Amino acid sequence: MDEIKLKIKKKLEFPLEADSITPDNFAGKTVAEIKKLPLYYATKKVTLGNFFDVSGKSIEVANTKIIIEGDLSNVKRIGEKMTGGEIEINSAVGMHIGNNMSGGKIVVNGNADDWAGAMLQGGELEINGDAGHYVGSAYRGYWQGMKNGIIKVKGKVGVESMLWAKSSKPANKWPTLYCGSADSFLGIHNHGGTIVVEGNVDRCAGADQAWGNIVIKGKVSRLLPSYKKVGEVKEVQLPNGEVIKGKFIEYSGDHTIKKETNGRLYIAA
Amino acid sequence: MSLNNLILLTGRTISQGVALEGGKASRENVRAAGICTFDTDDFKKLDCIVGTPVKVITDYGEVLVYSTITEEGPHPGIIFIPMGPWANQLVNPSSQGCGTPTYKGIKAKVEVVKNGKVLGAIELIGKLKEA
Amino acid sequence: MVEKVKTFEDVCCPFCGTLCDDLEIDVDLKTDQVVEVRNGCQIGTKKYFSSNPSDHRFTKPLIRKNGEHVEVSWDEAIDKAADILVKAQRPLLYGFSSTECDAQSRGVELAEILNAILDNTASVCHGPSLLAIQDVGASLATLGEIKNRADTIIFWGSNPVHAHPRHLSRYSDFIRGYFRTDGRNDRYIVVVDPRNTHTAQIADKYIRINPSEDYELIQAIRAVLRGADLDVKEVSGVSIEDIKELVEILKSSNFGVVFFGMGLTQSLAHHRNVDTAIRLVAELNDYTKFLLIPMRGHYNVAGANQVFTWNTGYAYSIDFSRGYPRYNPGEFSSVDLLMRDEVDAALIVASDPGSNFPAASVKNLFKHPLIAIEPHKTPTSAFADVVLPAAIAGIECEGTAYRMDKVPLRLRKVKEPPGETLSDKEILERLIEKVKEKLGE
Repeated sequence: MDEIKLKIKKKLEFPLEADSITPDNFAGKTVAEIKKLPLYYATKKVTLGNFFDVSGKSIEVANTKIIIEGDLSNVKRIGEKMTGGEIEINSAVGMHIGNNMSGGKIVVNGNADDWAGAMLQGGELEINGDAGHYVGSAYRGYWQGMKNGIIKVKGKVGVESMLWAKSSKPANKWPTLYCGSADSFLGIHNHGGTIVVEGNVDRCAGADQAWGNIVIKGKVSRLLPSYKKVGEVKEVQLPNGEVIKGKFIEYSGDHTIKKETNGRLYIAA
Repeated sequence: MSLNNLILLTGRTISQGVALEGGKASRENVRAAGICTFDTDDFKKLDCIVGTPVKVITDYGEVLVYSTITEEGPHPGIIFIPMGPWANQLVNPSSQGCGTPTYKGIKAKVEVVKNGKVLGAIELIGKLKEA
Repeated sequence: MVEKVKTFEDVCCPFCGTLCDDLEIDVDLKTDQVVEVRNGCQIGTKKYFSSNPSDHRFTKPLIRKNGEHVEVSWDEAIDKAADILVKAQRPLLYGFSSTECDAQSRGVELAEILNAILDNTASVCHGPSLLAIQDVGASLATLGEIKNRADTIIFWGSNPVHAHPRHLSRYSDFIRGYFRTDGRNDRYIVVVDPRNTHTAQIADKYIRINPSEDYELIQAIRAVLRGADLDVKEVSGVSIEDIKELVEILKSSNFGVVFFGMGLTQSLAHHRNVDTAIRLVAELNDYTKFLLIPMRGHYNVAGANQVFTWNTGYAYSIDFSRGYPRYNPGEFSSVDLLMRDEVDAALIVASDPGSNFPAASVKNLFKHPLIAIEPHKTPTSAFADVVLPAAIAGIECEGTAYRMDKVPLRLRKVKEPPGETLSDKEILERLIEKVKEKLGE
C-alpha cells in the first residue's frame, strides 16, 4: 500500500467536517493538491492544509492507505462514500465515520461517535473501541440503510444500530454487524441484516424485524413480548455462510409485523 | 428520613401553567413547580408534614423542593415534579442520539432536610450562570 | 351610555396546541388593559392578564452592562445583538413556538444569512413524533372529525386535564358531535399512564403501565392484533388478559383516535414509542377506522414546523453551516449541541430554554453571549446579554398559528403593544437588516 500520512495540527473548538478525506480523493494527487481539498469548520470553508500536515502520495485508489495521527474526536465524515483503499485512525473519531462507503477498509483504534458506518454499501469498518448510536444505520428519512459490508465493533454499540438494514439474497449481499455488546433497539426495522453480539444487549433487540438474524451470546435485559420461542439449537447457520457454534434458544419475531415470520433472534442458552 | 429506588416523572400541571404565565420569578411559580408530589403511602414513610422541603437526588443533579401528596395516585415508587427549572436540575440531558432529552423515568432518591431553602426560579437558574 | 370596554369575540387563545378559537376578551378603552376573559381555561386567561403592565413585563430594550440590565435605545440593542450574531462562529437560533408564522419565517431568513443552527421547541417536545412520522407515516385527522365521529378515545402518555384544559370539553370527551349526539355517553375513554392522573380519573378505562415500558406494551398489543399467541403472561405491568380485552375494545370501535404526548416522546425510546403507536393505529385500520393526533404543547409549534419545512425542507434541528439546510436531530438539536458546548452564541425567540432545558445544557448556554426576544422576565431573559422586548402575538399583534391538527387559525390583536415593544416579526426584520449591513462591510 502507498501510505499518505496526515497529522492534525490544530485544537478543535468546533466540529471539522472532513468528507474529502478518502482514498478516492487522495489517489493520484500531489501533497499540494491534497492540502487544497476543502474541509468545513463551524461555518467556514477551509482547506485540508489549514488543519493537517500531509506527506506521501499514491497512484491507485485500491493501493492508497491514509494514516491519520492526532485527536480526531471532533472530526466528522472521514471516509465518506469511499470505494476502496484504507484509512487508519489512531484516536477517537467523530460522527459519520465511513458513511455510505462501498469498498475498502477503515480501522479506528479508539472510540467512534454516532452514525459510524451509516448507510454502508460495502467494505469493512473496524472500531477497536466503543461506537456511538446508529452504527450501520439508515439516515433520517431513508427506509433502507446498510445494504452490504461488515462492521466490527470491539466494544459497545449505541441505540438503534443496524436500523433499516436490508440484505439481498439474489445479489448475495449480507450486511453484518459484529459487536461486543449493544444498547437498546439493536436491529430495529431489520430487513435481512445479520448481527452477532459477543456479550449483553439492552431492551427491544429485533424491534419490528421483518426478517434477519440476531445472535446474542450474552443476555438480553428484556426480550420483546412479540417474540416467541421456537426451540433450542446447537449452532446457528447464518445466511452469509458463517456458522456460530453453541447452544442457543431460538426465537421467531417480530410478530408485530407478521403472524408467521422468518425473522430470528438467538439468545445463548 | 429518605426514600430510595424511586422513579421521577416530570410534566405539566394546570397550576404550573398558570404560574408560568403569571410570572416565572414569582413565589406562585415556586409553589406550583418547585414541588415534589408523592404517593400517599410513600409519603408516610418520609415521616414529615406536607410542605417540608425535601432534597431530590438523581445521577444528574439534586434540588430542594417542597413535598406534597398526590391527587393523581396511587403511584407507589413514583414521584412527580412539574416541568420547569427545579425538575430540570434532575433530568437526563441525554437524548440517546434522537435530540430530545429524557425528561421522564429517571431513577431518584429523596431525603428530608432539616434546613434548606427552596430557591426561586431566577435564583436557581442564576447559579448556572455564576458557576 | 358611554362604552368603557371593547369586546373581542372569537379570539384564538395563544397558549396550548388546542388553540381554542372561541375566547371573548374585554379590553378597557381608557387604559388599554385586559379586564375580562371569557371561555378561556385558567392558563389562557392568565396569559391575557399577564400582558397588562407589571414588574415582570419588559417594555424597553435592555443590555447587560456590569452585571446589570440597563435600558437602551432600540438602535443600540439591535446593533449589539447583530454584532454578537455576526461575530459568532456557530450561532444558534432557537424557540419560535410562541409566536406567529411571519415571525417564524423571518427566523428562517436570519438563520440562513448567518449559516446558523435553526431549531424550535419541537426539539425537546414532539420532535420524536416528527422523526417517527418520517419513518413510518401517520394517519391523522382534524379535531373536528374527532369531535363528530370518534367513539373510542385513547390518551397515551398525555394528561389533557392539566396540559390542554379545554381539549376534553371542545373536542375529545364531553362535547356533543354530529354522530356523537349524546356527548360523553357516546364515547369510551381509555387512559394509559403510570399515574392515575386526573384525566385517568374521568376515563372509562385506566391502564396502569410501568414507566418507560410503553414500547413493549404496544408491541404486545400489535402482536395480539396480528393473531399471535404470546409466550408471556404480563407486559409492562399489564396482564395478557387486559391486553386482549383492550384489543377487542379497539377492534370493535366505530372510529378510534389515539392522542399521545410527552409520556411517549420524553421517555426512553422516544420516537420509537411513537413509531410503534403509529403502526398500531395503521394496523387497526384493517378492522375499523383509527387515527392519531399528537398533543402539541405550544400554540404554534406546529406552525414553526410548517414554516421551517416549507422554507428548508425540514421541521426543526436544521443546520445551515455549509450554506444549505441539513437535518439531523441528535447532531443539530439544541440540547445536544449545548451539551457538547458547540454553540458560541444564541438568539432565543418566544421560548424559555432557561426553564425548560436540562440544567447542564443551560450552564453551557450561559457561557456565551445570549440574546432574548421575549415579553417577560424569565430564567432565560433574566440572564440575557441583550433583551429585545416583544409584543405578545395573539394579544398585541396578529398573525397565523397552526393548531395541533395542523389547521391554521388567525390570531387577533386586542390591544396595542405596550411601551417600546415591537412584534417578534419586526424585531427579526430589524436584526436581519443590521446583520446584512455588518456582513456587507
